[in-house]
Amino acid sequence: MRIRLLKNQTIGDRLGMSVSLVVMVLTFSLLNENYFQWANFQSILISASLMGLVAVGESFLIIAGHIDLSPGSVSAMSGVLVAVLLGRGVGAFPALILVALVGMGIGYLNAALVTRLRLEPFIATLATMSIIRGAAFIINNGKPAPISDELYLSFGVFPILGLPVPVWLLVAVIAVFSVVLSRTRFGRNVYIVGGNATAARLAGIDAKKLVTKLYMITAGLSALGGAMLASRMNVGHPAASNGLEFDAVTAAILGGIAFTGGVGNLAGTVLGILVLQGFNNGLLLMNVPSFWQYVARGVLLIVALSFDFVRNRRR
Amino acid sequence: MLFPGVRALDKVSFTARSGEVLALLGENGAGKSTLLKILNGDYPPSEGTVALDGRELALKSPHDAIGEGISVIYQERQVVPHLSVAENVFMGHLPLGVGGLIDFGRLHRETTALIADFNLPIKSTDRVRSLSVAYQQMVEIMKAYSHPGTKVIAFDEPTASLSDEESATLFAIIRRLKAEGLIVIYVSHRLKELAPLADRAVILKDGRFVAERPMASCDELELVKLMVGRDIGDFFDTLHRNAEPGGLILSVRNLSNRKLKNIGFDLHAGEILGLGGLVGAGRTEAARAIFGADPIAEGRIVLDGRPVRIGSPEEAIRLGIALCPEDRKLEGIVPRRSIRDNISMVILRRLSRLGFIDFRAERKVVAEGIRDLRIKTPSAEQHIVHLSGGNQQKTILVRWLAMSPRVLILDEPTKGIDVGAKAEIYQIICDLAREGLGIIFISSELTELIGICDRIVVMREGEISGELLRSEATEDSLLCLAMLGHKGRIGCED
Repeated sequence: MRIRLLKNQTIGDRLGMSVSLVVMVLTFSLLNENYFQWANFQSILISASLMGLVAVGESFLIIAGHIDLSPGSVSAMSGVLVAVLLGRGVGAFPALILVALVGMGIGYLNAALVTRLRLEPFIATLATMSIIRGAAFIINNGKPAPISDELYLSFGVFPILGLPVPVWLLVAVIAVFSVVLSRTRFGRNVYIVGGNATAARLAGIDAKKLVTKLYMITAGLSALGGAMLASRMNVGHPAASNGLEFDAVTAAILGGIAFTGGVGNLAGTVLGILVLQGFNNGLLLMNVPSFWQYVARGVLLIVALSFDFVRNRRR
Repeated sequence: MLFPGVRALDKVSFTARSGEVLALLGENGAGKSTLLKILNGDYPPSEGTVALDGRELALKSPHDAIGEGISVIYQERQVVPHLSVAENVFMGHLPLGVGGLIDFGRLHRETTALIADFNLPIKSTDRVRSLSVAYQQMVEIMKAYSHPGTKVIAFDEPTASLSDEESATLFAIIRRLKAEGLIVIYVSHRLKELAPLADRAVILKDGRFVAERPMASCDELELVKLMVGRDIGDFFDTLHRNAEPGGLILSVRNLSNRKLKNIGFDLHAGEILGLGGLVGAGRTEAARAIFGADPIAEGRIVLDGRPVRIGSPEEAIRLGIALCPEDRKLEGIVPRRSIRDNISMVILRRLSRLGFIDFRAERKVVAEGIRDLRIKTPSAEQHIVHLSGGNQQKTILVRWLAMSPRVLILDEPTKGIDVGAKAEIYQIICDLAREGLGIIFISSELTELIGICDRIVVMREGEISGELLRSEATEDSLLCLAMLGHKGRIGCED
């Protein structure tokens, strides 16, 4: 079997984003000498490490025709929960595993709301977004929970080959899930269910089971990312990660994953993550006030999708 | 009216006088619905004109049609369920009062008067969604009627989902519209209800005008005869068919659910069993129930002598039953995926090891399918949506054949595809029968049912109304069973 990472892609699909990434890096590098620095790239990757994890989960969900709005809340709740667990004397690794399992449990709840109660994914996860955010505050009476466990604090910062663990975690997750999406039956069924759920059902594919797994993966990754963030920050903050899911969805869409479902791949999402974080970082270095960063990000999204629109019409 | 490759209507002319109820008759696909859509401004005619009161109309949209005084009441309700009866009836011309605000007092007074006029047991303030389908339809009729300048009201199968009593109410209203000098155009399959209602019948066939008859001097059987009477192409004689069906594979007994009553039939290996009947007779529902796609309330399915319970398509597939669904676009193709992905989706489990797809095995199956069924495509990686209808259908066929089914259910497999592809699909079906598959073939085209099936079971209103052997199946006998529920006596078997 030959390895064909770019299978089923026309060059045009990725060319636009690749070129934008290069142009963006060049522009920011010319405008600010601090941009094209290893230290800055490190900081881009570190800040991408949480959002990237969520973007992988959202990519799977959107390809399958679903969406999850709760990752920001799940991530914050996990940060607080892991801090509280550590404070009660639970070991670093057991605490991390426990939090990931709780995250997957929330994912199962999301899936149950969607597949059993037949709620729209947007509405179901809007509700859990609110509930879990509340839980994040309730767990520690609204106070940030500090972390003092040395081993746990090292998770977020321990460097391997010059990059901290969360970055490698993201790299590993992307590698594994790229293979899952492009080479396994599970990955293929994600596309089929998103491309035509009725046809999938008539072909004997159990869409409910598949979608349940996807919500569990997304929430599990969000929880893991939130726990890593708490480790980096020495604290589990209940108000953390606000709007995380929207950054992740933005990255996925920038990467060519269509809301209509059935289309896209993780190579695109990786580009989307890099463009979005590289862009945020560049604006930050140039001292663009944060209010304008929101505006700029919205414009970026519209411009990127207009390219898509034009390209699709030409076909 | 031209559809790609198909002429849905070919130079049809007819007239109607005010105060007349004109029935439009024809088999499935005769062009009745297309004609209504032209009247409603949904499709522009490629040739020909529509004139009202001697003036030629340019109908480019339903809005134009209503403006010119033509309203079409479709089978699907066109109401806003969350609004009141009054708001629906006067939609688009609500009475306005002070400051351009809606004058609700006048709105409800006028609607109440109209309801009393039509003698209906509903209130102007009722939400439309709380009404039965029948009364929702009445709301639509009142809407058409209340619109200033309405001269023509056309109905498409209006009694399809009505009870006998509700139908009687509808007929009373139609007589009233007629008495007030409106033109009523009435499309229906139900010949029995037409006799007392319609003044004249215009019969269409294959998009062409066949005949016009006054209803008073015409009987049901004559109408049925006029609707058929086409030469069955010689093509079917050249098919290389299976001479000797084998043993029993599938028997269905007393199958019932919300849409089906007491369905039962046998299917033998190597047999092509037709399921005939009008659109909506329950053929698709029967197929879906057997395939586990719809729940079964009662009944038994015996496969290879063993009673089986089929609760989902997954279980049906495991038992070797395949269903090639009716609506290719909605239920068949995954549009933005390749031919390869579209073919392998049913057998992906077999093509995977430890969850990983064996791409070499997959490509082999796909390449064989493309070759065997002669799918015209530059490559297996082509998105299926870029293929022609016929090649899409062949791709879906390969999807199901790849699982090596014992029983293959084909629901309208030749719908919307060109003649050449149709001929190929007929031959494929016959070849499969020779290989020993049991095939259930659902079609609304009488010629192809008669042409390729060994036996035809005819359904009507969710029940089986009869069974015809290949030797006794004619378009007349099929239509009699499908429309009247019996084989007909006079002149129906010649």
